Amino acid sequence: MKFKLIYPRWEKLEGQTIFNLPPHGPVVMAADIPENVEVDFTDENVEDLVIDDSPDFVGISMMLTTQVRRGWEIAGQYRKMGKKVIFGGISTMLHAEETMTHADSVFLGEVEGRLGQVFEDFNKNDLKKVYNFLSKPPDMGLIGPARRDILKKDLYYHKGFRMVDLFHASRGCIYDCYPCAVRYLGGRGFRPRPIDRVVEELSQMDNNRLFIVDNSLALDTNWEKELFRAMIPLKKKWVSHTIEDKDEVLDLAAQAGAWYVYQAVFDTSDYIRNRIKQYHDYGIAVEGTILLGLDNQTEDDIKRLIDFLLEIGLDLAEFTVLAPFPHTKAYSDLLKQGRIFDTDWNNYNAGKVVYHPKHMSAERLAELYQYAWDTFYKDEPQTMKMFNLINRVVAREIADDTYAPRRRDLANLSFGKEVR
Amino acid sequence: METNPDFNKYMDRWYDYPGQWDSPSRCGLKVIKRKDGKTLVIATEIYRQNPGTPVTEWCAPLATLLMHELNCSPENFLFVEHTPDLRSKLDFYGETFDLVTFEVRDNQLVNPSWSRLTTEQVDGMMEG
Repeated sequence: MKFKLIYPRWEKLEGQTIFNLPPHGPVVMAADIPENVEVDFTDENVEDLVIDDSPDFVGISMMLTTQVRRGWEIAGQYRKMGKKVIFGGISTMLHAEETMTHADSVFLGEVEGRLGQVFEDFNKNDLKKVYNFLSKPPDMGLIGPARRDILKKDLYYHKGFRMVDLFHASRGCIYDCYPCAVRYLGGRGFRPRPIDRVVEELSQMDNNRLFIVDNSLALDTNWEKELFRAMIPLKKKWVSHTIEDKDEVLDLAAQAGAWYVYQAVFDTSDYIRNRIKQYHDYGIAVEGTILLGLDNQTEDDIKRLIDFLLEIGLDLAEFTVLAPFPHTKAYSDLLKQGRIFDTDWNNYNAGKVVYHPKHMSAERLAELYQYAWDTFYKDEPQTMKMFNLINRVVAREIADDTYAPRRRDLANLSFGKEVR
Repeated sequence: METNPDFNKYMDRWYDYPGQWDSPSRCGLKVIKRKDGKTLVIATEIYRQNPGTPVTEWCAPLATLLMHELNCSPENFLFVEHTPDLRSKLDFYGETFDLVTFEVRDNQLVNPSWSRLTTEQVDGMMEG
C-alpha cells in the first residue's frame, strides 16, 4: 500500500532570508505508520508536487496556518480523483472544523500508537471523519525515533551547507502565553520524553546540528539538567527555545552543545538585558524573538525596543507582528473586541497585520514592522550575522572533531534549485 | 458547594462542559436569579485550570447548554464572560467582563457578540 504524505508549501515573508528546514511533524507522524505501508513524502517547499493516481491513500500534514488553504486545494484535487485524504498536524488542529469540509478524515492530537487503527479503518473502507485524541496524550515512551528516512535530505542544503534537523525532547507547556496555542495543541502539562529514548534518537541522527523544537526547555530544572548531562557525550550543536536562567543549567547547556537560543524580548528591562548577557557569558548566542503590535505597545515603545535590541548585542533578531491564531488568548480578546478584519489564513504569516492595533493603525504597524527589520540589520545584514553564528559553531565542531565539511557537489544548489 | 480559594464574588463553583470535539472543559460559574425574573450567568475563564476549550471560543454552545439546564428562555437569560486578574506582569491578563448577546435559532444561541462591561456595571447587574 502506498501512502502519499504531503507538506504543503507556503508563501515566505517578503525580503527575508529563506531557510527551508526539514519538517518535523511528518517525520514524527511517519514513525507510527505501520511497517507494511510504503510512505512517499513530498515537501512542497523544496520540490514540486506531482498529483497523480499512484497513491492509495493521501495524508496532508500542516504546521502553519499559512499552509491550510494550499492543503485544502491539494486535497480537493486528490478527492476529485477518488482518493481518500486525511489531514493532521498542528494547523489541522487549529483549523479542524474548516479542514473537515475538505477532508475524508482529520486526525486531531498526537499519533503515537494510533495510526495502526487509522490504516486498518482505511483498509476496511471505514475511515472515521474525525480521530480525536486532543485530550488524550499518548505514553511518552512511544514517541520516536522519527522517520527521517522519508526526507530527501539533499534538498535541505543551501550552497552545500546542511540545514539543522528538527528534534523534540518534550511536549506540552505549563505556561499560557498570550499569542500561543500550545495549551490547546499540546496540553497544559509538561510532558518530557524518557531521557534514554531521547538519547537513542539523537545517537541515530546523522546531522550534528539540530533545532530542539520543544516549546521551552525551561519547564523543569531537574529534567533540563538530566537532559543536558545525557547530551554532552553526543557532541551535537543545537538551537532551542528558552533555557532556564540558572547558572548551573546554562553551564550544562553550553557543555551539551547549546549554539544559540530563541529568547523572547518583550520589553527594555534590566531583566532582559541581564538574561541576554547571561547567555553570552556561557558562550550561547541569542536570537531575539520580538513580537510587535501588542496592546501595550505604542509607536514610541516599538522604536525604543528596537534601539534596546541593538544596545544589548543580540546576535540575531526575528520580528513578527501579532497573528491572532485560533485557540489563543490573543484571538479570544481580539474576537471579542471585533478587531480582526482579515480572516484569509494565507495572511496569518506573522508578517502581515490582520487586526486593528490598539495604539496605531494597521498600516502604521506594518510600517514599523518593516522599520524594525531595516533598522536592526542596517549595519550588518541578516546573512552576515548568520554567517558569524555559523563560524562560531564551525570552530567548536573543529575543536571537538565533529565538523562535517560543506558538500561540494551541492555548492550550486539552494534547497534543490540551481543558484549561481 | 465545593469551597475553593479561587472562588470569589463572580465565581462560586466549577462548571464542566464538553468543549470543541467534546474535549473535557471547565469554567468558573455564578448563577443569579434576579428579582426581575432574569437569570444572570457569569462564566469565568480559568486558563490553566481549564483543560479544554476556552470560554470565548465556545461561548455560544456553552451559553445554550446553561440556558437549557437552568430552564431559561433566551429573553430572560443574561450571559457575562469574565476573565480574572492573573496578576501577570503582562497586562493582557487583567480582569475583564463582557456581556455576550446572541442570535436565537431553534432555541440555540448562535453568533455571539461581546460588549465590554465595567466592574460597577456587573455589580449592578448582579443586584438586578
